[in-house]
Formats: sequence, structure tokens, C-alpha cells
Amino acid sequence: MIERTLELLIDDDGLSVEELASACAVSCEWIERHLEGGLLEVSAAETMRFTSVHLLRARRLADIERTFEANEELAALVVDLIEEVERLRGR
Amino acid sequence: MEFKDYYATLGVEKTATADDIKKAFRRLARKYHPDVSKEPDAAERMSAINEANTVLSDPEKRAAYDALGRRPPGQDFRPPPDWDAGFEFSGNESAPGQDEFSDFFANLFGRAARARRGADAASMRGGDHHAKVMIDLSDAYHGATRAVTLRSARLDAGGHVVTEERTLDVTIPRGVRSGQHIRLRGQGAPGYGGGPAGDLYLEIEFRPDDRYVVDGRDVTQRVPVAPWEAALGASIEAPTPAGPVEVTVPANSRNGRRLRLRGRGIPGDPPGDLYLELDLVLPPADTEAARELYRTMEREMNFKPRQATERSR
Repeated sequence: MIERTLELLIDDDGLSVEELASACAVSCEWIERHLEGGLLEVSAAETMRFTSVHLLRARRLADIERTFEANEELAALVVDLIEEVERLRGR
Repeated sequence: MEFKDYYATLGVEKTATADDIKKAFRRLARKYHPDVSKEPDAAERMSAINEANTVLSDPEKRAAYDALGRRPPGQDFRPPPDWDAGFEFSGNESAPGQDEFSDFFANLFGRAARARRGADAASMRGGDHHAKVMIDLSDAYHGATRAVTLRSARLDAGGHVVTEERTLDVTIPRGVRSGQHIRLRGQGAPGYGGGPAGDLYLEIEFRPDDRYVVDGRDVTQRVPVAPWEAALGASIEAPTPAGPVEVTVPANSRNGRRLRLRGRGIPGDPPGDLYLELDLVLPPADTEAARELYRTMEREMNFKPRQATERSR
């Protein structure tokens, strides 16, 4: 059985804090804490709408924190390095 | 369904302490973490490790699992009736990716199984699912349709957990970039107690292709050119992800020269640029005629490549 479905590129409209939290299986407080700590960043123009870049980063942060019971700043450092390696490999 | 030996998955003894299990899990998670691991089956291994840890790190789940006894891995297995009587799993954890765990897990510990036991009586939204979709760069230029097969567990009329597969036809929009996500509302895990289904997020990834380097919407592509095309200039037809294009190679072009085709990158607002990087290819000297041509050049051209390199520094 093949279903047709309505799909949406999330970058067109962005995700709300609640939607981002749900997609990462974390609480809204977790998202807000990471925004306040600068571990997740949104530009002023984005007015708290989150794109694919945020989703990927937030999922990685949550995953590293959960898997290794890691300190949030340390998890962010690991994710920074993963992103840098990806950037270098893309060259 | 197949019996899963969670102790073997984590490489620990059945007598392992909670601390041993935690250490084994972290060691394997570091080895098979899909973001860093070079192992080809890292994602599958990580899912199996997560599944084993979800059971063995929870004392109630581990006790119920131990009560099943040990069986050869892979053996066909049906849990005995009331196998979990007397155990109370802490039912509110939601390990992400749990819906991708094995049938064995879904039947014994999954959310559908807990619903059967009445543990999920409250209305609850289904979890969001994540999957990757591999596309070719040319699909980003033209748009595409991909069939995505999903597996989910649900309760049948008799209260048994059944896993079922369904296929979705997903439209990949023109102009999509690697790393972007498509959201399919209501296509995640089913809700319980009348709660809505979760969403499905598909992460787009370009299939690796040595011909292209993609940076945002800009695409760099190597184009092989003959020495005379680079030296004398030529009008060539270059194959690009958008189809063949006619380009002028300026005379005296060096190897690696980049020609910019404005707006010919990945479509969008604004569209990216396409860079054609000239890749000078030498004709093989595999016939007497070809060798003679090279000898003629050697005699006539007074070309000293090392000196040229020294001068250009």
C-alpha cells in the first residue's frame, strides 16, 4: 500500500519551541536553557522559529547528553567539533 | 520473532553490575556513534546497543528479561503468557529511536506492549520519528518522488502487538539542500488513548558523488578538458546536474581554473552558482602516432615545466 502524504520543508516556516522539543524528545525548558546558555542559537530575525540546522544540532546535543550523561557545555563542544569535521569533509 | 541476547550485544556477563552495564554501553556508544564512527553498520549497531541498554539499565525491565531465561540468539521466540507478571516497568521514559527497536523489544517492552498491560491509559501523543532519505544532486535540481518504507508497532483487536510496514510516497521539493528536513505530519508513532500521532522528519542527504562538491546552494564540478582546449580556448559541452551546458573555456586556462555559471547551482531564491573546475587531462601516449606528437611538442615548444613553476611562485 502506498500512501500519498502532505509534506513540508521545515525551513519554509520553521518549527516552534514546542515542535522542536517534541522532535528532539526533550522538554521546552531544555530548549530554553540551551538557548539562554548559547548552546543553541537563533538570530533575532528568526524570532524563535527553528530550521533544519537547529533541529540537527539540538538532536545531537540531546543525544550526546543522554548517551554519556554529559555536561551540557561538554556535549556542545563535541557537537561543535562534529560540525567542524563535517564542514571540512564537505570541502 | 527472534530472541535478542542483550547481554551479548553489550558484551557483558549476565552477572554484570549496573555500573558494568553503563560502562559497556558508553564504550560501545563511543565506538558506534553514527556521527563519528567509520564502521559501515554504525547506525544499526547503535540502535541495537541503545535497545539493549534501555532494557538492561532499567532494573525492572532487566529482571523481567532475566526471567525469560537465556536462549540462543536469533532463535524463534514467543514470550510465555504473563511472562511479565509481578514486574512494574517504569513506563514514562521515551528513549528516542525506540520505535526503531526490534520486534522483540516492541512485543515485550514497547509502548504498544505497555498499552496492552494498561500502563498507558492516559491519552498520549505519539513520538516523532526521524529517518534519512538519500537523493542525487540532480534530484535537488528537478525535484523527485521517493517511496519511504516505515515500520511501526500497534495493538491488534486481540491485544497482541503487531509490527506493520507501510510505504509513503514523498515529494522531494526542487531546491532542497543536504541537511534540510521534510516534515510529514501525523506519520510518526501512533498516539495512545486517543492521542494524536507524532510527526515524521526526513533528513535529506545527497548520495556521495565524486564529481561534485556542494556548499549550501553552490555546486563545484570538475570538468575534464584536453590540453588543446585549455591552451587554445574552446567551446565545450559540459555535463552538469541540470543537464548539459555550453561553456567557453578561455585560452591559456590553467588546470584548476574555475568558471562561474551564475544561478546554475541548486535552485532557490536566490539560486546558487555552479563552478566548473577545469581538470586538465593528458591524452595517453599509447600509440606510435601519439608518442610522435608528444616528441614533436618536446622538440618544438622549448617548454621547461619546473622553471615555469619556479617563476610562477
